[in-house]
Amino acid sequence: MLVWYGELTTQRNLTRRGLGFLGAGILWLLVFLVLPGMVLILVSFITRGGYGQLVWDYTFENYKRFMGFSVFGWTADYIIIMWRSVWVAFMSTLICVILSYPLAFFICSRPEKKRYFWLTLIIVPFWTNMVIRTYAWLLILAPEMPLAKLASFMKLIPPETPLYPSAFAVYMGMVSIFLPFVTLPLYSSIERLDWSLVEAAQDLYASKLRIFMQTILPQTLPGLTVGVILTFVPTMGMFVVPNLLGGSKYMLVGNLIQQQFGTSRDWPFGSAISMALMVLTMVSLQLYRRRSKEVDVI
Amino acid sequence: MKKIVLILVALAVVMGGPARAGKDELRIYIWSEYMDEEFMSAEFEKKFGYKVRIDHFESYEEMMAKLQSGGASQYDLVCLGDYVFEAAMSMNIIQKLDHSKIPNLKNLMPRFYNDYYDPGCNYHVPWQWGFTGLLYRKDKIADKDAQSWSLLFDPKKLKGPFYLLDSQQEMISLTMNYLGYDPNSYDTNHLKEAMKLVIKTKKRSNCLGFKGGVGARDEVASGAAQASTCYNGDANKVISENPKTLGFTVPKEGTFMFLDALALTKDAPNPEAAYKWLNWILEPEIGANISNFVQYATPNKASMPHINKADLNNPTIYPSKEVMDKLFYLKDPGENMKLLDQAWTRIKAQ
Amino acid sequence: MRRIPPFVTAMAMFAIAFLYVPLLAVGVFSVNATRYGLTWKGFTLDWYIKLLQNEFILEAAWNTLVLAVVSTAVATILGTFLAIGLDRFPWGRKANTFLDVVLHIPVVIPDIILAASLVVAFGLLRLISEVFEPGLFNMIIGHITFQIAFVALVVRSRLVSLGQDIEEAARDLFASTPYLLRRVTIPLLMPGIVAGAMMAFTLSLDDFVISFFTAGPDSITLPLFIYAAVRRGVSPQIHALSTMTVLVTVFLIIGIERFTRK
Repeated sequence: MLVWYGELTTQRNLTRRGLGFLGAGILWLLVFLVLPGMVLILVSFITRGGYGQLVWDYTFENYKRFMGFSVFGWTADYIIIMWRSVWVAFMSTLICVILSYPLAFFICSRPEKKRYFWLTLIIVPFWTNMVIRTYAWLLILAPEMPLAKLASFMKLIPPETPLYPSAFAVYMGMVSIFLPFVTLPLYSSIERLDWSLVEAAQDLYASKLRIFMQTILPQTLPGLTVGVILTFVPTMGMFVVPNLLGGSKYMLVGNLIQQQFGTSRDWPFGSAISMALMVLTMVSLQLYRRRSKEVDVI
Repeated sequence: MKKIVLILVALAVVMGGPARAGKDELRIYIWSEYMDEEFMSAEFEKKFGYKVRIDHFESYEEMMAKLQSGGASQYDLVCLGDYVFEAAMSMNIIQKLDHSKIPNLKNLMPRFYNDYYDPGCNYHVPWQWGFTGLLYRKDKIADKDAQSWSLLFDPKKLKGPFYLLDSQQEMISLTMNYLGYDPNSYDTNHLKEAMKLVIKTKKRSNCLGFKGGVGARDEVASGAAQASTCYNGDANKVISENPKTLGFTVPKEGTFMFLDALALTKDAPNPEAAYKWLNWILEPEIGANISNFVQYATPNKASMPHINKADLNNPTIYPSKEVMDKLFYLKDPGENMKLLDQAWTRIKAQ
Repeated sequence: MRRIPPFVTAMAMFAIAFLYVPLLAVGVFSVNATRYGLTWKGFTLDWYIKLLQNEFILEAAWNTLVLAVVSTAVATILGTFLAIGLDRFPWGRKANTFLDVVLHIPVVIPDIILAASLVVAFGLLRLISEVFEPGLFNMIIGHITFQIAFVALVVRSRLVSLGQDIEEAARDLFASTPYLLRRVTIPLLMPGIVAGAMMAFTLSLDDFVISFFTAGPDSITLPLFIYAAVRRGVSPQIHALSTMTVLVTVFLIIGIERFTRK
């Protein structure tokens, strides 16, 4: 018998009751999350039949293809796509952070009552579906619009072509989708900022950069971490934005996976690429965790 | 608490259960804009009492992918083409047709009743036939330049934006044919060359990428692009609205023709309705209605008197013999589908 | 609060513009009286009217709503109990870390991996039972799977910040477990549960990837519908649909704000 928060009971009783609570949820996650994950790993090692069925012959073929070795000779294509996805994720996150700090500071500088207004302004796009927000860029970047006209005037693109599909369009799309993901957590951190530290630094004649790096940045780290994780990881796997704005000229790993599960009907290959993405995600998270202190994601 | 969960789960099952097509709905999976959907659904419902539900795809690969990942038992009728027919057969997606329920099959032209991939129409009912070509803006491109596929493939020929066809086998075969190879050969070297050409073309700054037939056509019609591969019926729809600005040609290197048909799925939820539909579309007036709307060619002999006179004389719908000689069929690649898929992935990936 | 340099304000305004210009463009072109092209041809509400007559769109909207409501309800219940079970009971350290990791997985991995594994899993499950055809059922399952994790994490952080004092006091007064739950824990937890539910609801409405991979022919949702339409070429009807969606979102947010402020 033991006393568990005021209750006199046995360990067995507690375990039984605890499982009662956990039971349904954990069972669900096991069946629909963990098990499928394992099946995915398994499928990445089998072959694809002539018409796209699964043929249970085990092989490393899919991974070899991912590394570039295929019937048509070696190519670095897929590795390039992975690298490109990481790079796009990194740059998008960076731009989001650079834009979010001023935005969050701005909102904090408003009087209490007005803050709701500005926060709502940010939440509305946040709640709007990403498909809408992405295709809206097709309008902004169209040939008739000022941006495209400016670019063709500056000889950056042929006349009368739109500014998509292109890397530029993809970046625009990614940043506009993920900006609120960084701004909102950052805002909650900045709200709790202890300005006395900043003032102390100012009193000591520290340069603006130093003030930022040594007083503001460390204090906003929790919010920043949440924002970065919520942006960097999903960006690597996005396919809507590259699909609509990058066409097939700027492929990211998300598109590649989607294509294998779609028109290419190559589930094993798709699974192999997913595994590679998974590994990449884990590595990125580890790297990030090591450079900042332990932070609760939600 | 547990009770609420159970109720909700039950609700979920009821709401989202497997294909409850019900006894009064017919489900068709077909290319987008391949019939006058409003008219056809309304007429069919009026005549036979079944509601018609139509879903669209933009390429045969998309259709196959959907059916393979579980869609087969959710549709009654599926539109197939010549080169995916064998695949559909071997994957056991379609079932043999009961000819006694489709007496109107006699209306078909003999040539199409006994076509090369299913003579005797045991598994399919021909829908329309057509071919691919080049859709271009007359105000930006000279007619003589549009007589060859090199308009797209040769960087010197076209400066304005254009689209390539977002359909795996069709685009690759077209390219192989352009290079002078047998479009149905799966020689690795030929494939490789075709793949390289498509990649080079795609990478040009004025190539806007790949789009399905209808999408690309709309872009050319709106002026956002100047040329694209297009199916003849789709092209004709916009040309009749804008004959001065838009043109369509069958390039001299040749192109592929297709014969699309409807097939009955193995686990069709409502085969009764499906048979009624199959028989109904072969009626002379209905067959003509389809062709007059989509401006493709009809395989139905009895419909010919009802076709628009202008269409009958239109060489882009009913071509002359010399054009017919340049048309080739796409054959089912069988095991070589893998090679095609790999090549296409590479094309899209670069 | 404090004065901030004008340059910061300028950047902030730029960021807001960045967020809104695309949406405004959609709104503007939804009332443009032309089918193709982007030149201004006059004001019209035609597209909105056509929208309301379009059966498919109404069906898609209904599907989206049903999906969100059902999945949120189930996920909130399962997630809340999961959180309570996780935090209020003594599990060994290893068990705790394992459960923690499993809970964080849907949150941190790119959702395309989750979608891919669901596709494969359902594909195999389909061989056993026909119930797993792509459709609303599969979509609901997919949504619940990632929603549970979010709800559980939100509720758990609230549990942690609540502390166990009140419950301990209730136990000292011989409260039984059901009573404790009903009268003490859940009421205290309500803000957390509501927050979790709202988050789950948003995630479901906003979700595209999971829905894309698990949808069947009669379970198109609004995001999928818009995506398919855009791939064929943008049309003003889609602009009208999108603008309406944004407006509904705005009303929802303002409504919730008013509701929670009371």
